[in-house]
Order: sequence, then structure tokens, then C-alpha cells
Amino acid sequence: MVTYIFRRLVTAALILLGASYFVYLLTAASGDPLEQFRANPTPQKQQLMDARTELLQLDTPAPLRYFKWFGGAVQCLVPFANSCDLGKNIAGQPITDALGAALVQTLTLVTGATVLAILIGITLGIITALRQYSTLDYGVTFMAFLFFSLPIFWVAVLLKEFGAIGFNNFLRNPEVPLSASLGIGVVAGALTAVAAGGPLKRRLLAGAVAFAFVTAVLIYFSATEWFKKPGLGPVLIAIAGAGIAFAVTLLSAGLKNRKALQSALIAVGVGVVLYFLLQPLLNEATFLMIVLLAVAFVLIGLAIGYLMGGYDRGQSMRAAAITSFLVGFLILLDRFMQAWPTYFNNSRVRGRPIATIGASTPNIQGDFWVLGLDSFTHLILPTLALILISLASYTRFTRASMLEIMNMDYIRTARAKGLSERTVVMRHAFRNALIPIATIVAFDIGALIGGAVITETVFSVRGMGFLFLDGIEHVDPNPVMGVFICVAITAMVFNLIADLAYSALDPRVRVKA
Amino acid sequence: MRLGRISKAVGVAAAAAIALSACAGNSGGTTPSTAAAASKQGGSATVVEVNAFNTFNPNTADGNTDINSKVSYATHSGFFYIDNKLNVVRNEKFGKMEKVSDDPLTVKYTINDGVKWSDGTPVTAADLVLQWAAFSGYYNDANAEAKTGTSYFSYAGDPTGIALTDFPELGDDGRTMTLKYSKPFADWEIALGGPGIDIPAHVLAKKAGLADTKAFIDLLKGMPRGDAKAPKPVNTQLKAMADMWNTGFDTKTLPADPNLYLSNGPFIVKSLNQDQSLTMVKNKDYNWGPEAQLDEITVRYIGEAPAQVQALKNGEADIIAPQASADTVEQLKALESQGVSVDVGNQLAYDHIDLNYSGPFADKNVREAFMKAVPRADIVDKIVKKLDPKAAPLDSQLFVPDQAPYADSVKNNGSSAYQGVDIEGAKKLLNGATPEVRIMYNKDNPNRVDAYSLISESATKAGFKIVDGGLGKSDWGKALGDGTYDATIFGWTNSGVGVSGVPQIFKSGNDSNFNKFSDPAADKLMDELIVTTDKSKQDELIQQIDKMIWDSAYGLPLFQSVGVDAYSDRITGVKYMPNQTGVWWNFWEWAQK
Repeated sequence: MVTYIFRRLVTAALILLGASYFVYLLTAASGDPLEQFRANPTPQKQQLMDARTELLQLDTPAPLRYFKWFGGAVQCLVPFANSCDLGKNIAGQPITDALGAALVQTLTLVTGATVLAILIGITLGIITALRQYSTLDYGVTFMAFLFFSLPIFWVAVLLKEFGAIGFNNFLRNPEVPLSASLGIGVVAGALTAVAAGGPLKRRLLAGAVAFAFVTAVLIYFSATEWFKKPGLGPVLIAIAGAGIAFAVTLLSAGLKNRKALQSALIAVGVGVVLYFLLQPLLNEATFLMIVLLAVAFVLIGLAIGYLMGGYDRGQSMRAAAITSFLVGFLILLDRFMQAWPTYFNNSRVRGRPIATIGASTPNIQGDFWVLGLDSFTHLILPTLALILISLASYTRFTRASMLEIMNMDYIRTARAKGLSERTVVMRHAFRNALIPIATIVAFDIGALIGGAVITETVFSVRGMGFLFLDGIEHVDPNPVMGVFICVAITAMVFNLIADLAYSALDPRVRVKA
Repeated sequence: MRLGRISKAVGVAAAAAIALSACAGNSGGTTPSTAAAASKQGGSATVVEVNAFNTFNPNTADGNTDINSKVSYATHSGFFYIDNKLNVVRNEKFGKMEKVSDDPLTVKYTINDGVKWSDGTPVTAADLVLQWAAFSGYYNDANAEAKTGTSYFSYAGDPTGIALTDFPELGDDGRTMTLKYSKPFADWEIALGGPGIDIPAHVLAKKAGLADTKAFIDLLKGMPRGDAKAPKPVNTQLKAMADMWNTGFDTKTLPADPNLYLSNGPFIVKSLNQDQSLTMVKNKDYNWGPEAQLDEITVRYIGEAPAQVQALKNGEADIIAPQASADTVEQLKALESQGVSVDVGNQLAYDHIDLNYSGPFADKNVREAFMKAVPRADIVDKIVKKLDPKAAPLDSQLFVPDQAPYADSVKNNGSSAYQGVDIEGAKKLLNGATPEVRIMYNKDNPNRVDAYSLISESATKAGFKIVDGGLGKSDWGKALGDGTYDATIFGWTNSGVGVSGVPQIFKSGNDSNFNKFSDPAADKLMDELIVTTDKSKQDELIQQIDKMIWDSAYGLPLFQSVGVDAYSDRITGVKYMPNQTGVWWNFWEWAQK
């Protein structure tokens, strides 16, 4: 095992060396770094060209200039020496600083999108696999491929047009006309009817319920100006919490486990009580506090499950903990919604909350909730665009993997010995289906650092992609190399991790030294 | 037992609650109390720029990008600024700049009492001396070949004018400075002292370990003019100051030391968010120039034109000036119904076709024939009309229509002979000859490609054999003037104000005279031009030179680039400006409705 890792690392270092040399030469040869001065009629033209030549060391031919760069870059390997030197960009900023800032921007942009795409993608994949060749399956497949084949710059521009500009216009006077409420209700009902399984009667019933529910909610929202002053309130949290309790128990323990269901419901009750107790504390929230509260909610859930006891304590604890965590999330959501009017009327936001560019409103001031909402309104559109585009691969991959597993002999055995369908799907099939997906996820995290160049450009986020493009534009290899090094190293490390994870998860695969 | 368990649980819960409140934020206020953060009086505006700010000194070779100059313009003041008719406008409230004598040219600068930096230090002649030292390169004695000597200030501008002066005379009150030129210099008015005096001498002096600005002046006074042939050892104090001038003001985040961003203008930088935004607020002390209406200006950086338009539409930006393209102009025009105002105008950059005075074009008749065949109106129709319906071919090699003398010059310079395509006239001049002409242009620039194909098509009709000499983005610039082509299509930028640029392109043997135009009479006029200090006299000379260039069948100016700016109905007072300062030129007139 150690030999294997060592051998992989040595190969990676060699690949990195060769590739970096190649990339450096390509960047240096990609254009004329002095182009902007060529048609400059001013007398100081020569001086400016000399200054740029000196800055970029253009008098050294690129194949040799690489080694000057390499000499500085190699010092990054010396731990704690703080002598890392990746050169400077045209603005005279050290690349290490520029990379630091760009990395933060890119990670804020893509982390949420990647996590959500994985969660939604895997869920959809499993559902479509279980309902193979159903209308739902075809529908999801169609949508996934549709979004996959859309160019992201176009999706992004459309999202900005309707999701930001259109939605903000709507918020000025958030009234949903009755016809629109009915229309949206009909669409929602139809989708539900299609998605719901079972005999026609059941589908129609589900569709009708969904139609009535959505239309009623929209009319209620419109009448109470909910979009201006959104909120959940304890009643809604209690109702939604009960739903969550049933769903979580269904998936994690099965509804037959009454103790687990009771634990989950108790957790909801405790959560609703905590909702009132926590309000004064939440007014002075910090990020650390939210994290600690999340941990506290999980612990409370575990404690409830433990105290309920029963023949399978573990299941009760799990169901209660997950439920408690989700109820805590609802309370958090409610608190964000309470801050919405303040954010909406902030003099910097001026009643147009959803942003089309950047990562935050410049100079916005406010408490944790307002600032949180500000990040949220800036991230929602790029995140949505990235999710839509990357959903397809996760959905299809999970579906394929799940279908393969569901046809395995051991699944038939499990069914034959009388296990419930829930146990078969959740415990025997799902876990094994995740093995190949784990490797895909590892790959994607490696690619994540490289950023989403186009998304960054359209949403004007100055991350890794911008640094890269800017370097290319000025024929300045330093920023390009900085981005390249970061991306290449993460990609290689995560490739290695993917291989190791595979062998760790799947007992049939062994790493041979 | 039961009771014990419950009380324990309560105890644990209480302890947890205390621990959680301990990590609560100190912001104190709950959400509903932050609404009244910014006052409405004066108002604010958000301006979009393409490039990100990176230095408080926009004069250096690495720092002279448009955004740095604009921020410096808004935060500093000086003896003059340039308006959108390309006139030099004096700011007498800041101080007086007067020509004391014509021979030798002597200029006296007097800074008014009460003009001060934002740290309270008065703006004095020492600040002017620093600018003079940096802009003139007076102390440089570097010899590039021998690698000896020192180059102190790395100035991006043209030092040739100010280099004609000796160490200035300073008044006793510390507010006057008199510059004596060894020979007249045409652009003396814009050479020094504006639009902003941007680097404070007292900060640099302190950096070099000098007691005050007096010690700074004494140090400079004591040093002789640098001589590359007899380099002196480095003066460490001046070097320390120059190094700070060169790179010490480079930053992407707000420096901890406020001395690095002192203001003496209408605004002062308040916050810098790396690569995201920059915010300026009104400088309370400022009363030595046009008073700003707004309390706050925020600059945000957006590279893409469509993203700029959508930001304007969504209210995130108030003023934008994206790269003009047919799509962008169309999108902006569509926003006019929501109250957005759009200004389309000319820029100082213009495209032109130059003919070499060699090869097939050595014969003037051939040049003239070719010029007759260039379809300038078609080129304007195809390339610029869709952006600016009022666009017309540019008819002067030296003026742009925004300058007052343009109309006069056009009347007499002979451009009227090339208004339409005259294939017959061209054929007559060619007299049956079919010269082969290689045209070089940047084939990665769609406008140049369009211009080339229209010219090529039309010239072929007249009997020319056109060879496509288009080169890629990375090669065309290097090929300029190397003799591998006979004609070339590319762009120059008119300086708008000042005449130093004229000889660079048109005087015999100069660096940027790529087609080797040479006319002794014109050379003589240009020599006279750069020592003429009177504006109307300058215009007269340029008109004569313009005519000579046209008469010798130099080539043709084609069209000016189109610029566009747009602003929302929240803001008033934005006016189009053709030069690099763009909409910023009158930022003090911007107001919130």
C-alpha cells in the first residue's frame, strides 16, 4: 500500500514537471505580450515596452525563462520557509496573493453547487432507477440531458434575466394574479400526477391534492404579501417537522419501528419549543454559534432516541437525530426569513435583492442574518446554473449503478429471505451503488478548484478562471502557471484518493504494491 | 433519582445556553435596527469599470491603467482638467498656472492657501517638485547598454517636454514654483500639475528618513542633473523615495497606513474589496474646485459587456461604459423605455489605411489611384453605422470631430477628393498598370477583416492585384514598419489634447512613422509646432500639416471607434467623453435624483 502511494506520488511529480513546462511554453507562445504598445504613437512607447519586457523577463527565451520561474516555485515545497515565489502578475501583485483571493472566490461559488448537485443527482438517480421506464424516469432523463446540453453562458444569462431582473421586478409588487396561481397549480398538479406512481386513480388524487395545495398557498402568499415578509412560524415548522419525522423514519428505520417514529416526533416537539427559546439568542448569532447549535440539535436528537430505548436504540437515535437536525434547519431558515424585510429595505439593496454579479453587495452593513442573506442572494443564480449543468452526470451514473446492483443475486437473496423493500433498497442496494459514485465525486472535487471559467465570467466573479484568462490575455505565464499548479495538484491528489477509496470501499478491489 | 436526572439535564442545558451566548456577535443590534445605515442626503452612485484597481499611483509604467487613473482623478485635484470638448479647463480655486514669459518659456505655478491633503498637511510646492522630478526623469543617469547608473522614477508618460527644464525656482511661502524651459514647449499647459497632484511629498520624505519637505527639497536641489555618460553612485534617499513611488502605492486592499491614500480632491477612498469593488466618499475639507454632488461613489468591476448591461438593468449599477458593439448598443437602447439614458459617441481611437512610400506605392499616382478605390462610406456603413447611425468617415489625419478646428481643416485638406469611390479615376491614374499590393492587418479583429475585404473588392475593380497579408493577433504588431507589406490597416489613438504625438507618426525617420512618409516642409512645420506655445497658432500649423499629408497621398483615415455609456434614471449629470477618462471627466456633476 505505502509503496503504491509512493509510486503514484513520484509519477505525479514527474507528470507535473513535464506538464508545467509544456503549459509554460504554450502560454508564452500564445501571443505578443507587447501588442498593446505597438500602435501607440507616443514618444515613450519604447520605454513602456522596455518596462513590460523587464517585468515579464521577455529578453530570456521562454524555454529558459521557465527555469527562472521554476526556481521560485520549487521553494513552495520547503515547508514553513515562507519563501514560496510564483512570480508577479502584470499589476505587480505576487501570484501567491492573487491565487489566495481567487481560490476563496471560486470555492464559495462552486462548493455549494457541487454538494447540492451531488445530493440531488444521487437522489434523482436512485428514484429513477427504482421506477425504471416510468414517466418519471423518462421525464428526469429528458430534463437531465436537456440541461446537460445547454450552453452554460446562455443558461446563466437567462437565469439573470428572469431569476434576478424579472423576480426583482415582481418583488416590487408581489401579487400573484389568480389566473397565475391557478396556472402554476395546474402545472404542479400535472407534474405530481406524472411523478406519483401507482394506479391512475392514485395519481389523479395526488395531482388534485398538489393542485389544490399549491394554488391555495400561492393565493395565501399573494394576499398576505408573504414574499415581502416571508416566514414559517412555529405552526408551519411543527407541521413540516411532523412530515420530516415520518419521512426520515420511513427511510432510516421503517414506519413499523414505532419507537423510532415516536423519537422523531418528540424531537420535532422539542424543536418547536426550542424555536421560542432560541429567538433571543439567534438575534446575536455568529457563524460559530450556528455550527454549535447544529451540533446541539443532533445531540438532542441522539439523547431523545437513547432515552426512548426500545429493542433497537440505534435506529431511534438515528431517526431522531436526523429529524432534529432538519427541524433545526427549518428554525434557521425561519430566522433568515425574519431578516428578509430588513435586507430588502437596506439602502444598499434598494428592494432588488437578487444579484446578477459579484459575491456581495459592496459596503453592506448588518448583522449575521443580513450578511448571510446577501451572500445567498448573490450565490443563488450561479449555484443554480452550475447545478443544472452538472446534474445530468450524477443522475445517470447513479441510475446505472443502482440498476446494476438491483439485478444482483444478493438483492434477490435479500428479498427471498423476507427483508422489507426499504431494507433491501436502503441497506443492500444503495450502499453498494455508492461505491462507483464515490470515485466520481472524488474526481469532481479535483476539478472543482479549476473553477467554472464561464460561470465566473458571466457572473463577474474574479476567481481562478478569471486569473487564468487574464494571464492568457496579457500573455503572462505567471498567473496561468499559478492556476495550473493548483488545479493539477488537486486533480492528481484526488485521483489518488479516488483509487484508494475504491479499494477501501469495495472489498473485491485490492491495491497491489 | 428521577428528579436528579431532570435537574442535571436542566443544568447541562443552562450551561450550554451560557456557552452559546458567549459566542454571540458583538454587533449588539438585532436585525430590525440597521435600516438607517446610510443617509440619503447627497446620495450615491455605482459605476462599472472593466479592470480592477491595483495602485494609488497611476503614473508608473505598471500602474497606468484606466481605472487607476480614474480613481486618482476623483481623489486628487490640480491646476486644470480636460473637458469633453477636449479643452484644457483651469481650476483657479486650486491655484494659478501662468505663463510668465515666452522666451525663455517660463511657467509659474501658485497653489492657493488652504489646499490640503486629507491628513491636514497643506499641498505645497514640494508636491509639485516631486511630480516634476518624477515626470522629467531629471536625476536618471542609467545607461541601458553599459548597465551603469540608476533610473529612479519609472514614469509611464512622455518626459521629453519637462526634461527641457532645470531645477525649478521655489517661492519663500512654499506655495509657488517657477519652471524655466530651455526651449519653448508646445504642451507646457498639460505637462505638470494636473489633472491631479497625486503623490504627497511629505509621505515620501518621511519614508526616506528625511525630517520634512524642506529637507526633501534641499536634497533634490543639491543633486545635479543625471548624465548617462557619467553616472553617479546611487543616492540612497532618492532611491528609497523613487522605489516607494514606483511600487509602494501598489495595493489591492485598503492599506493600514492612511498616508498611502491621501486625497486632495473631491473624494477619498474609503474601502477596497480586492477585485470586487472600490468605494469613495466625499472629502469633507475639499473646497478648492468644483463641488461634488454625490456623497459616495462605488466602483464595481465587470469584464463582460452583457453582464454590465444586465447589472444596469437590475439596478446593481448606475453608470456603465461597456465596450461598444452592435449587440451592446441594441441591448442598451432597449432599456431606454425603463428610463436608462444611452450616449453613443466617437472615441479618440481611429482606424486608417496607410500606404508605404516604397514598392508599388513609390509612385504617387498609384497611391492616389488606390485611395480613390477605397470605399470609405461602405466601410463606415458596414462597421460603425449599426452602432452609431450618425457615423461618418473621418476626414482628417490629425484632428477628430470633437476638436473645434476639425471642420476648418477638413474643408481645405483635400479630403473632399476621396468622399466616394472613383473606380474610373483610379483606372485613369493607373493607366493600364496592375500593381500587386499586399495589405497587412490584424485578421483576428473582425472590423479590420471587414475593412480589408471591402477595400480589396473595390481595389480589384480598379485593376489592383490585392494580396491578403493579414496576420494573427500576436504577429501583426511586430510586422508594422518591417517592409513586408505595401499597405496596412490598423488603429492609432489621437491624444485629444497636446501636439507632441504629431511628429511621432508623421516626422521623417521617427519610430512610429511606419510607412516612411517624408516631407521636408512638413518636418519643418512639425519642428515649429512642438515649440509653439499658442493654441490657435498650433491649430493653424496642424491644419497646414494635415493638408500636406493629404496632398502627398499618404493613405486614408477610415472611421473612429464608437464608445457608449449608459446610466439609470436614478442619476443625472453624466456626459459622454471621447478620451480615456470617459464618463468620469465631470464626476462632480453626477447627482442622485
